[in-house]
Amino acid sequence: MNDMKDARDISDMNEDIILKTRDLKKTYMQGKIPVHALRGVDIDIKRSELVSIVGPSGSGKSTMLSIIGMLEKPTQGKVFIDNIEVTKAKNKDIPKLRREKIGFVFQHFNLLSALSALGNVEIAMRFARVPKQERITRAKEVLTEMGLGDRLKHKPSELSGGEQQRVSIARALANKPAIILADEPTGEVDTKTRELITNILQRLSGNGQTVIIVTHDPWVAERTNRIIKLVDGKLDDLLK
Amino acid sequence: MFDIILRNLTQRKIRTGLTVSGIGLGIFAVIVMGGMSENFNQTFEKSFSLTAEKIRVFSSVGVFGGGLTNSKAAEVRKVPGVEDAYGMLMAPLEEGGGMSFGGNQVTGIRPEKSQVALTPIQLKDGRFLLRGDRYVTVIGSSIATQYNIGVGDRLEIEDKNFIVVGVLEYTGSFFDANAAIPLDIAQDIYDMDDMVSLIFALPQEGVDGDLLAKRIKLSVDGVDTLSPSELKKEAEQNLRIFSVITVSAAVLAALIGGLSVMNTMLMSVMERTKEFGILKAIGAQQRDILLMTVGEASIMGLMGGLLGLVSGWAVIYGMNLWLADQGIVLFLITPRLVAVAMLFAILLGTASGIYPAIRATRMSPMEALRYE
Repeated sequence: MNDMKDARDISDMNEDIILKTRDLKKTYMQGKIPVHALRGVDIDIKRSELVSIVGPSGSGKSTMLSIIGMLEKPTQGKVFIDNIEVTKAKNKDIPKLRREKIGFVFQHFNLLSALSALGNVEIAMRFARVPKQERITRAKEVLTEMGLGDRLKHKPSELSGGEQQRVSIARALANKPAIILADEPTGEVDTKTRELITNILQRLSGNGQTVIIVTHDPWVAERTNRIIKLVDGKLDDLLK
Repeated sequence: MFDIILRNLTQRKIRTGLTVSGIGLGIFAVIVMGGMSENFNQTFEKSFSLTAEKIRVFSSVGVFGGGLTNSKAAEVRKVPGVEDAYGMLMAPLEEGGGMSFGGNQVTGIRPEKSQVALTPIQLKDGRFLLRGDRYVTVIGSSIATQYNIGVGDRLEIEDKNFIVVGVLEYTGSFFDANAAIPLDIAQDIYDMDDMVSLIFALPQEGVDGDLLAKRIKLSVDGVDTLSPSELKKEAEQNLRIFSVITVSAAVLAALIGGLSVMNTMLMSVMERTKEFGILKAIGAQQRDILLMTVGEASIMGLMGGLLGLVSGWAVIYGMNLWLADQGIVLFLITPRLVAVAMLFAILLGTASGIYPAIRATRMSPMEALRYE
């Protein structure tokens, strides 16, 4: 953890800012051709904000999300989460940081098919070495909060798309992360469920949870506090 | 973590079953071949310990070369340092039976020397041979069991009936499959005149066996000797070669089982690429993934080991039961063999799981999540 403390950049952090990126660049190589997915993105997101990142396909939205989520490293630039410069963290510290700071919600839910709803939420806390009883209690609590109190023992294949996405949100919330990163969370559901999922994310934000949504859907984006638009890997405009 | 490992294994029952069977087959070979080796080793050790002090004197043209007469025993006895010496004629008990390992044999010995020759083996029932005995025999425990005979019963040797006067305690040595009869009768029924197969010489107390063996060889014409240490060295060398051959074959079989574990784990890791990506995204560390993957392989090794052990034990039990009718014990399962086989199975499983596990841990979470 000392490394994490070293990574802090307190002088440049506003206590109210939970996420800050500076000059974030990411270049992939497609054979010998460089593809610039991000070309220097600076954003600041405040605690409990509900922010959407929008933009056309290939604009760098998902790359942005995966770098913030520490699933990949930027080619250049810095990411600060909760005052910690995570881009400076050692590889061995990343799983712990990811567990503590980030909760993922995926478009395709990405639930483990062999586990029940309860198991899928509980497993996230298992890697944080939370005692078993505490894990079960917490998992039941968040699933009930998502309206799935009666679906605890159902496997993903026995749940509807909306229910699966709610399990996914419950899993993201399990370790009480600083930020929820949702990648097209309504991309696979019908309009009714889209509304339900969006309402849940709004409610979470209202309760103090920072939520960042990558979406193509203007209906969802309009319901966030702020829209960040990316075009060709660059910040286009603050629309709202 | 253990419940996740078990869940992963039971999710792919057929594949797990086939892999476990593969490793089980290997361990089965280790148990059966090792059991044979263990039996040979133990039989030799016990047989050797019962005759550890004695010097073998045989014809200079070899044990079965002939030319050694019982009169040579008297010459050996006269060599300074020799406490006693006696000749023995050995022949197969059953018609057509060879002097091979595990077969019953007849030993002709002068009756008054039978107790010395068979000491320290205790009598279970009856007595040793006595001077003046003729068609009587002292039998080992395997012969008693095989023929279901005891003191007072008859044993047919070369168409002659011998009355059993003594039954020896079980020793786990060659003596269990031995019927001792008076030497002159043995020479008569096998038509061997005064011939003996070999002479045992007992050193006096404090006399070095190796030196005495050399002295006998130099003092008595036409004989060669094998001191206790030479015999042990020679026999151990032969046993080692036997053990290496049997155990190598078994290890090879087990390694093939190990490769099947590695193949299964590699396939499993590839199939679960996305799952590993999800687990990493929700905070699993490299050691969690490593533990999960290696744990699965180790458990398959353990299960394969248990399967091999149980099936090997069943086959050995059946074979020993079947061979008991012929007075042969061919296999022996020792705690050492069980421990080695199980340890080998687990280590094999674990080692086979390490490479797939490393591949799993090195996956980029982003690429793993994109994997379809």
